[in-house]
Amino acid sequence: MSDVELQAQRIEWPKEGVSRVPFEIYTNDALYESEQDLLFKGPIWNFVGVDVEIPAVGDFKTNFVGDTPVVVVKSSADSYSAFVNRCAHRGSTLCYEKTGNRDAFTCVYHNWSYDLEGNLKTVAFHKGVRGKGGLPDDFRTCDHNLQKLRVQSLCGLLFVSFDEDAPELETFLGPKMCAHIQRIFSKKIRILGTFSQHMHNNWKLYMENVKDSYHASLLHLFFTTFKLNRLSMQGGLILDGDGGHHISYSKMATDAGGGTDYESGGLRAQNDEFALHDNRILKSWPEFDDGVTHAIQGIFPNLIVQQIQNSLALRLLIPRGVNGCELVWIMFGYESDTQEETDIRVALSNLVGPAGLVSMEDGVIGSFVQRAIVGNQGRETVLEMGGRTVESQESRVSEASVRGFWQAYRKYMRL
Amino acid sequence: MSWLNVARLSDLAPDYPTACSVEGHRIALYLVDGAVYGTSNICTHQFALLSDGYHEDGVVECPLHQGRFDVRTGKALCSPLTIDLATYEVDVRGDEVWVCIQGDGR
Repeated sequence: MSDVELQAQRIEWPKEGVSRVPFEIYTNDALYESEQDLLFKGPIWNFVGVDVEIPAVGDFKTNFVGDTPVVVVKSSADSYSAFVNRCAHRGSTLCYEKTGNRDAFTCVYHNWSYDLEGNLKTVAFHKGVRGKGGLPDDFRTCDHNLQKLRVQSLCGLLFVSFDEDAPELETFLGPKMCAHIQRIFSKKIRILGTFSQHMHNNWKLYMENVKDSYHASLLHLFFTTFKLNRLSMQGGLILDGDGGHHISYSKMATDAGGGTDYESGGLRAQNDEFALHDNRILKSWPEFDDGVTHAIQGIFPNLIVQQIQNSLALRLLIPRGVNGCELVWIMFGYESDTQEETDIRVALSNLVGPAGLVSMEDGVIGSFVQRAIVGNQGRETVLEMGGRTVESQESRVSEASVRGFWQAYRKYMRL
Repeated sequence: MSWLNVARLSDLAPDYPTACSVEGHRIALYLVDGAVYGTSNICTHQFALLSDGYHEDGVVECPLHQGRFDVRTGKALCSPLTIDLATYEVDVRGDEVWVCIQGDGR
């Protein structure tokens, strides 16, 4: 058994199973290191970007798998490559830009140069100078390629895996999750903007928050004040992938002609003090035939696909040490959108992000937990809303998908 | 245009280019089957001296990224090169190597 596994196994899971989570899970440094190996580099698929971000051969994007820096590049007309963003020579960062176009990747340190697939092509002064110095005659460049990752895609979403034994991407996602991705990404998307926020909490607290449909109408007063999302609305939870993936969805009564009851004056907050002077921010139109107006999909371990009315986004959560994480947002619409539709999406994006009228609380609630669980003396969190098991539910007054996250987490972490 | 005596033939070696610097021109000289050829000493890809590179059978390999030029024509032979190398007319007079310089340093 490796040291990493031994360290992870020092945490003893409560006998109640996934209805309890030891607080140490968010604070243990050794566990954080184990997560990098067993989870993020384990037999899973990690989202890294969208095909429209790197449309031309040589276009690349840098990102992270767990906290390991990676590069994903369009390496030919019909293929993508990915590798660790680290020169095979001395381990220097190879690629500093977030995006760009290259015909080769050359390290600034000693000018070792790699092709778009990560193969070492040239070594500066490999023959030395005037016959002195240089590499030994038996040095083979093919033994010193970049550390390569597998790349697979679904509807333009690019995923990578460190593990040769990871199942095919669509098997990892499962049919329910694939169907939901196909629902959102059936048309070519257009990225409206990206941004990221740092949060002062362990990454898992944010993923739990995403999967916790119970808190939405309690923590997010904007929703209830303006009657946008109540737990009494029709909706439910769909779980898959050992419980690690989920979709939380709901249907808001929406006039087919456009505009909400709120806008027409039919729905008003009980306290007249709480009214928006300019309600264009809430304008939306029914986008999908299934009537679902809100759908949050969590792909294990750290991707979120967001549909909040017409606000569409991908969110990737990057762990930044045991006490921090960075949430990267990709806001998008479709190439076929009219200007009016684009304007509505941009206006609705006020709901999300670090200062979003709704997401603002999600960005800080994890740190409220993180600072309170210091010195927790082996205590644990309680997850019993909607029972103690992991299954799809008709009600969103449930923590089933949070329990599902822990079920999958325990499997990969061998806890 | 002027002809300048820049090197001794007996100092040239077949495996490695010889660097010389005259009137702002940085020149690399090559010995190929007894004949002498001259090119710019600076790679067209990124700044590197070809005289630090390796020469074999009329082809010089840049030390930095292993771009190769034909020293007789200056032609770029492979990636990452996209621009040919400037060449100089060379005349060997006994042991003296003369190079034809045109205009200012390039």
